[in-house]
Amino acid sequence: MTSIYAALEIGTTRTVLAVGEAESGGRLKVVSHAEIPSSGIRKSQILDINQVTQSIRSVLRENEKNQLAAGNAVTIGNAFLVVSGQHIKADPFQGQAQVAGAKVGAADIEEVVRSSRKMALPRDRELLDIVDQAYGLDALGGIHEPKGMSGRILKLDTLQIHADANRIDDARTAANDAHLEIREPLFAATCAAEAVLGEHERRNGALVLDVGGGSTGFAAYADGYLSHAGVIGVGGDHVTNDIAHAFQTTQAQAEELKRREACAVIGASDGEPRVKVPGTTPLMESRTVSRRALDTVVNARLKELFLILREKLEDLDLLHRLHAGVVLTGGGAAMRGLDTLIQRELGMPVRTGLPVHVDGLAEVRHPEAFAAVAGALLYAHRNYEEKSLFQTIFGGFLK
Amino acid sequence: MNDSTNSPMLLIGIGGAGCAIARGVSRAFGDGLRYVLADTDAATAGEDEPFLLLGGDRLSGRGSGGDIVSARLAAEDSVDVLDESLEGVRLAVIVTSLGGGTGGGATLEAAKHLRGRGIPSVVFATTPFTFEGEARQQNSRGVLSMIEEEANASFFIPLDKLIGEADNMDEAMRRAVDTLASAVTLFWRLVEKPGYIRLDTERIRHLIANAGRGRFAAVTVQGLDRAPEAVDALARAPLLAEGSGPVRAILCGVLAGEDLRLSEVGKIANGVRTAFGEGCAFELATVNDEQTFCGRISVVLMLFEANGKDVDEPQTGSAIAGPRRGRKARNPLATGPQGRGRFNNAEPTVWNGEDLDIPTFVRRNINLDF
Repeated sequence: MTSIYAALEIGTTRTVLAVGEAESGGRLKVVSHAEIPSSGIRKSQILDINQVTQSIRSVLRENEKNQLAAGNAVTIGNAFLVVSGQHIKADPFQGQAQVAGAKVGAADIEEVVRSSRKMALPRDRELLDIVDQAYGLDALGGIHEPKGMSGRILKLDTLQIHADANRIDDARTAANDAHLEIREPLFAATCAAEAVLGEHERRNGALVLDVGGGSTGFAAYADGYLSHAGVIGVGGDHVTNDIAHAFQTTQAQAEELKRREACAVIGASDGEPRVKVPGTTPLMESRTVSRRALDTVVNARLKELFLILREKLEDLDLLHRLHAGVVLTGGGAAMRGLDTLIQRELGMPVRTGLPVHVDGLAEVRHPEAFAAVAGALLYAHRNYEEKSLFQTIFGGFLK
Repeated sequence: MNDSTNSPMLLIGIGGAGCAIARGVSRAFGDGLRYVLADTDAATAGEDEPFLLLGGDRLSGRGSGGDIVSARLAAEDSVDVLDESLEGVRLAVIVTSLGGGTGGGATLEAAKHLRGRGIPSVVFATTPFTFEGEARQQNSRGVLSMIEEEANASFFIPLDKLIGEADNMDEAMRRAVDTLASAVTLFWRLVEKPGYIRLDTERIRHLIANAGRGRFAAVTVQGLDRAPEAVDALARAPLLAEGSGPVRAILCGVLAGEDLRLSEVGKIANGVRTAFGEGCAFELATVNDEQTFCGRISVVLMLFEANGKDVDEPQTGSAIAGPRRGRKARNPLATGPQGRGRFNNAEPTVWNGEDLDIPTFVRRNINLDF
């Protein structure tokens, strides 16, 4: 029985759909993917449900086309939803249980796991994930396997990731209107980590930075588990907006300047000192702007973002525990000079996060931009492996 | 700190070579120089010198081993000690040498620290001789633009250009330290011992507030045609030959004895303008010091690639400090209130009371050189 899963990411700048199929040997292959520019979204939040529905319809059609071109199309009926945005929060919660006998047994572990799931969220929050971190036994912490150990009170530290329920509902509504059922909402940064991080990186401490258009998500791993996660409501769109404001350009021109010319490090570009900005109409003459000024605008914005992140990591006592460094994912990860700037501001090595734990993305130009959806597929594969093809997709193979 | 003076200008020597340069300035300038030396290597400390050991707990006074990251962390650990030396300081001048660990790493942290205290800084840093090898060149290149972002004005002086051919490494290094110390001493005299056309610390503060990278050279000539010869020497000076951008402002200091003639000042000012940037902002200052400059003219020339106006005040509140560019940001575009632009109708992103949807360069008053 083949298992097929779909993951949908409704981002601020692009809407992405990826379909994955379980392969023999336990791996997962992305069999099709599609992306289209988003509309109706600002800072990862839906402002116009109809426009978002249109985007979802378009990406579904685009995916079908890609499948048809490959000769084995499917119609997707449901998908895992990859979400981001500054409404997403992570809170630690500790479950506790009295050890029944002299040593910790399986029943004690079940009990403490149950206890750790009892955190009450406000009605306007929706739980995205509960991540088990480490066990504790009386005063001893950081235990990975407590079974057989002696003690009285067993504890389990967890990280509970939750989102604004209304924002998730809006996405569900838009998807349902496009005849797509949302199975589970998943947090983009932890999904990306699923696809790009190696076990040794989790052990040594690593930070996955998912740089999106409207926000930047982060997932910090230390001692082998997710230590903290969150979202800063600043993304690539802020860079674009700053450029537009500085040089009196349209947002589209600013986006082009950002993608083609801008560098996050002042003075690091080899190009001409002045950068051409084409006119917005054929009658309008092109003009030039100073490359140094352009880089200064970009540098100021991104440096501020990473200083905020640094402050957060310091507060969480994580900054000096991330020995494996930063792994960059998301559509904004391709920004020129970003790795150098992060290295400077956070003082740790930086690499681009390629989704190495899934197959089928080798030909993609910027595979790091697909890390979150690839991670969502992996999550689905690991947690829903036994579900049949017909439970997962609607319509089946057309071929 | 050297407590013998209440000068508002502080010289900071960082790293082994930086400390040697600062010592050279101290010897040449004499009493009245306010200075402090800082290094990760305890062996750099001399007797009766104002010395700060950086990263004592981390490196145990053994130096950074050429590792910029270690030096940065060491400086981060102990940069607060510098505060004891900053009372009443209105302008800090850092002398250092890039290529090793402490010069680059600690200078960066010191400049950042000064920036946080609202004290403008000028960095004079040598970059390695070619013969020192690619590793040191890379160390230097890696940290150079970072320092540039933190300091208000920075002068990176390639040792190859400063010294040219040298017979052996020790001789080349000694000459480099002496040459730079002499040049910085002239700059110091220009500010601390003003003549008819004054250039004091406050004026310098305003001039360098947003100066960016610059080129720097000093020449000394004597004889009947000393004014045109000084201009010729400057025009040929390798250190002024190539910059990373057009010259936007010139600071020209003329230091001489009582025999300095007005016509000579005019020739130098006009010659420098013609040679380096007609039409750009020009500041002139003179020093009359018969004892030091009798019969000679020294000219100190600084070419800036941007022209500063205002000075940042110390930051309070937000811990987030953007790059210091003291001038008011131009705000030429109407993209909504304060530039929120496409975020006008979106829920604001607020951090430490700041609306992050407003462009950073606007909130930080960063001027853009269009």
